[in-house]
Amino acid sequence: MSTHILKRLLDRLRDGGSPVRTDGGTAAAGSETAGGDSDLGSALSSLRESDAVRSAPFWLPPFLLMGFFVYGAISWNIVISLTDFGGLTLPTYDPSTFDLEMYRRAFSDGQFWIATRNTFVLLISFTGLSLAGGLGLAILVDRGIRFENWFRTVYLLPFSLSFVVTAVFWRWMYNFDSGLINAFLRGIGLDFVASKWLTGSIDTGALGAIPLVPDTFYFKLFAVIFALLWQFSGYAMVVYLAGLRAIPNDQYEAARVDGASILRMYRRVILPQLRASTVSAAVVLMVFALKAFDFLYVLFGSNPGPTADILSTMMYRQAFSANEWAYGSAIAVVLFVVALTVVAPYLYGEYRRGEL
Amino acid sequence: MTDTPNSDDVSRRTYLKLAGGAGTATFLAGCTGGGGESTTESTESSGDSESTEETSGDDSDSSTEYNALEVQHWWTGGDGGAAVQALFEGFEEQHPDIELTENPVAGGAGQNLRAVIKKRILNNDPPSSWQAWPGANLQPFTDADKLEDIEESVWDHNDMKNTYLDGPQEAAQPAGNYVSVPLNIHRLNNLFYNVEVVEDAGVDPASIDSPSALVDAMATVDEAGYVGMAQQTNSAWSTGQLWAQVLLGEYGADVYADVTAGNVEANADAVRDSLDIVKQYSEYYPNDAGSISWQDANSKIIEGDAAFFHQGDWAAGMYRGQDGFEYESNWDHVPFPGTEGLYSLNMDSFPMPTNNPSPEATKAFLRYVGSVDAQERFNPKKGSIPPRTDVPQDAFGPFLQNQMDDFSNSEAQPLSIQHGLAVAPDALTAFEDAMASFISNYDVEAAYSAVQSAFQ
Amino acid sequence: MSVRDDLAERVGVDLEAVDPLRVALYATLVGLVAFYLSPLESGLMTALKTEAEFATSPPFVPPTVEGFTLEPFGVAIDTLSSAILNSIMLAVPATVLSALFGSFAAYGLTNFEWRGQLGVVALFIAGIFIPYQAVLIPLSRLWAIVDTQSLLAPVLDITVFSAQVPVLGTVELATHPHYASIINLIITHTAYGIPITTLLFRGYYKKLSTEMLEAARLDGAGAFTVYRRIVLPLSMPMFAVTLIYQFTQVWNDLLFALIIIPSGSGPAAVATIALNELTGGIIQTFNTQMAGAFVAALPTLLVYVLFGDKFAKGVAGGT
Repeated sequence: MSTHILKRLLDRLRDGGSPVRTDGGTAAAGSETAGGDSDLGSALSSLRESDAVRSAPFWLPPFLLMGFFVYGAISWNIVISLTDFGGLTLPTYDPSTFDLEMYRRAFSDGQFWIATRNTFVLLISFTGLSLAGGLGLAILVDRGIRFENWFRTVYLLPFSLSFVVTAVFWRWMYNFDSGLINAFLRGIGLDFVASKWLTGSIDTGALGAIPLVPDTFYFKLFAVIFALLWQFSGYAMVVYLAGLRAIPNDQYEAARVDGASILRMYRRVILPQLRASTVSAAVVLMVFALKAFDFLYVLFGSNPGPTADILSTMMYRQAFSANEWAYGSAIAVVLFVVALTVVAPYLYGEYRRGEL
Repeated sequence: MTDTPNSDDVSRRTYLKLAGGAGTATFLAGCTGGGGESTTESTESSGDSESTEETSGDDSDSSTEYNALEVQHWWTGGDGGAAVQALFEGFEEQHPDIELTENPVAGGAGQNLRAVIKKRILNNDPPSSWQAWPGANLQPFTDADKLEDIEESVWDHNDMKNTYLDGPQEAAQPAGNYVSVPLNIHRLNNLFYNVEVVEDAGVDPASIDSPSALVDAMATVDEAGYVGMAQQTNSAWSTGQLWAQVLLGEYGADVYADVTAGNVEANADAVRDSLDIVKQYSEYYPNDAGSISWQDANSKIIEGDAAFFHQGDWAAGMYRGQDGFEYESNWDHVPFPGTEGLYSLNMDSFPMPTNNPSPEATKAFLRYVGSVDAQERFNPKKGSIPPRTDVPQDAFGPFLQNQMDDFSNSEAQPLSIQHGLAVAPDALTAFEDAMASFISNYDVEAAYSAVQSAFQ
Repeated sequence: MSVRDDLAERVGVDLEAVDPLRVALYATLVGLVAFYLSPLESGLMTALKTEAEFATSPPFVPPTVEGFTLEPFGVAIDTLSSAILNSIMLAVPATVLSALFGSFAAYGLTNFEWRGQLGVVALFIAGIFIPYQAVLIPLSRLWAIVDTQSLLAPVLDITVFSAQVPVLGTVELATHPHYASIINLIITHTAYGIPITTLLFRGYYKKLSTEMLEAARLDGAGAFTVYRRIVLPLSMPMFAVTLIYQFTQVWNDLLFALIIIPSGSGPAAVATIALNELTGGIIQTFNTQMAGAFVAALPTLLVYVLFGDKFAKGVAGGT
């Protein structure tokens, strides 16, 4: 039988180019079209039955391992957040003692709200800026340049580094006296822009009257975001570059024939086709935003202060410094919910488009 | 870089030892049994917390048979590493019959070790003893009944009660009874300065008599073109230490004790005013304070860029390691302004856990830690002073000798807030939150209410 | 037609013509190279300087002859070598395992069709977004209770292991009970790596020809045969991506290591922990810190310099 398969495969490869690129229907689409006849339908449904069984050896073991660690651990964490686990006495897992005290405490804790706000700011601005930066890079690199591979590798290089390493670099980049950022600003005559990036702030003046805009704008969180942007925009670039390359040449051609300017071409023709790339890059970037704990921890220790404190650092501090395990768990649950508010629309959107 | 003060190891010369020490230490023996025993007892219910009595199988005829002793600490390199090795050698000389296993956990000024200990205590699998900052740090342990009273078995020996001053003794009794033995003291109310710089600026540090007067001195230094105070604000702990000394210097030991006991409101003016003084200090910090470590800050003293430096006396270890930078001629020290006659304490100690794997050997070890011999071996190497006041001074350098004199003559020994001797871990975490926001906006009123709610 | 011509035609630019736009493009690209490399370059220069030198010269300037030293790298290698070996022993199995599991799961969830499948897929994908803090306390409790060492004792004595390693010499490994925690870490990283690897493989497998797999099936090939003979060989570009991605993740992780390795920095420490201690610990000498940063980052840097292309191409295939 194997020769038969291989022959088909080779045919496929020959006329379809890479099988990866073929946009042949998905499994779902294929079976729907086949499901017209009722006899065939029942046969297929039994095949479906057996498919569930036949596929189980593949997905079930990873699912169990992942499920135990991910969902098992989260459930355990939720249970802990309902206890009063603190100090050095293990909790009594007695349902009659469960309450929402730790959540009440969180909601009345000013620090908690600051950390929640910062978490959202970090998540959204980091992801947005990295996507924008990555797209810009991808467009530049896609302009038919020489040494493209080399440029691409350089831009991607920071992505390979640990937060521990990049935090060491950036703590120093931001040094007021000897850091490279200020050295550069002074070098190009912008002395007045050189700032204490990790502690400084700027008065927002009249803008402060706008709702949600604070009176004083602290640089710290954005210094962190900028460093993360440096680290991860290369990844977004790689993903976008793939997306750009997947757009057929004739569309560029058509736009050119129409006399569209380059800018117009990108806005009207190209960008709308990069939705899948954007989603795919955003997923990974958000994962990293949620991991930014490592970066903050190395840079500032477990307490970065209200201008950069996020829920993960606050949780770590409460649980592992203050021994407030249950409180830490409750903060972690909130963080989990924050992550859910990001992932749920994504999952739903993919589901609606049939791309889940 | 990590958020806790590092009272450790600052000599550049001994740096390489750290490198060697971390990698080569091997512990084939001793600890393999520990893991196995733990599982039987480690259920997730709290039912087992009652088992305060020593567990099975331990020697009742304690005269000869000892279980192996497991001591955990975070002195893996540098001054601390050499010091603890000297301590262990001394103990082994006295007790060749006790098998001693050290099990060091480096990093984060003890942060990692504390995490390990917490985990082991929760599993009812403690080591025999471990390096711990005493005082309120141990409250979670005493609250959970995890530490044993060692008054009779340890503190009644070696004349300890007469040779330890009140402050250290208080720190050894977080819940009113003796559970730990302090081994060394680092002082916190120091003001270090670069002699040439203050002379050039025309300031006499000895004449600064209060924390608020220090502001004027720094202004003078600033005019002469130097950094007033080499402080780091990358993480909050240094500011926490500094504020405590300002409060102590401006308002005295009684107010300090009252505030740490939770009566912040009763001392509202003192707390606000001391925060305000710190805010005034911040005008004279180096420009890059936000992105440097305390060692970087201290380098500014060594290099002659800055005049004053506040830090625990481990900072002197860096001077010691610097050739051509000598005590009294290049750098010098006064008690932090207004704290003359006080000796603000950070200490390392060794507690006695319940459910101890080797109760008798641990008691022998703790008795040794409280002895003159142990403290005389350990402290000169560590750059700290002994809590016993009857340790001969010969082995110590001139700076530490002066500190020892100050200590013996001190009228009070206030416990460190920042190291958790004066306040329990949850309050300390809240206090650090307060300081972390304080250094980002220097909002005195906000910091006051944060401190108030932290300590209540 | 060369790729370059192809591109030139596509974007409508004549490559050979020297026009101001083109110059501006290259200037921007080179400026960006400076931006992306300057922290690395400054770090490397500092790592090669003596203390006296880095204190007095700007960070990005190369060391002078008398200010040049390799000692920081010596210290860094001495300090980090055993931790780096630990990281290798952690990252390699964890990476391979989660890539394999991800490939299995993606195959089982993509190239079959059954009711409820999408629900399972959703659970996998949601697993990607788990903030690790949400599982930290349970994990620390779990690995405190499970005694891997004793569980493995009948089959594997993990207390003794030594290896002869080029450059580093003989390295004693695992002579410490906490070494079992490396195995705990491998299991943990494998489990948390599965969701993202599954997603990556699934995106790829969705594009595999259904007809082809269907044909193989009708030919009587079992699910395993199809996987082994068709899916697996075709997955290689995606394996390159997931392996590189996961290796980087595991190698660079600090949080799990902080929580799971009980001894923190003991002999079982991994590279990130050891580096954090080198930089955050006792002596802060920038040159040693930077050398340490490079030594700890070397494996991932190498992976990207050597296989960055494959990674980029693989990502292209996946989207």
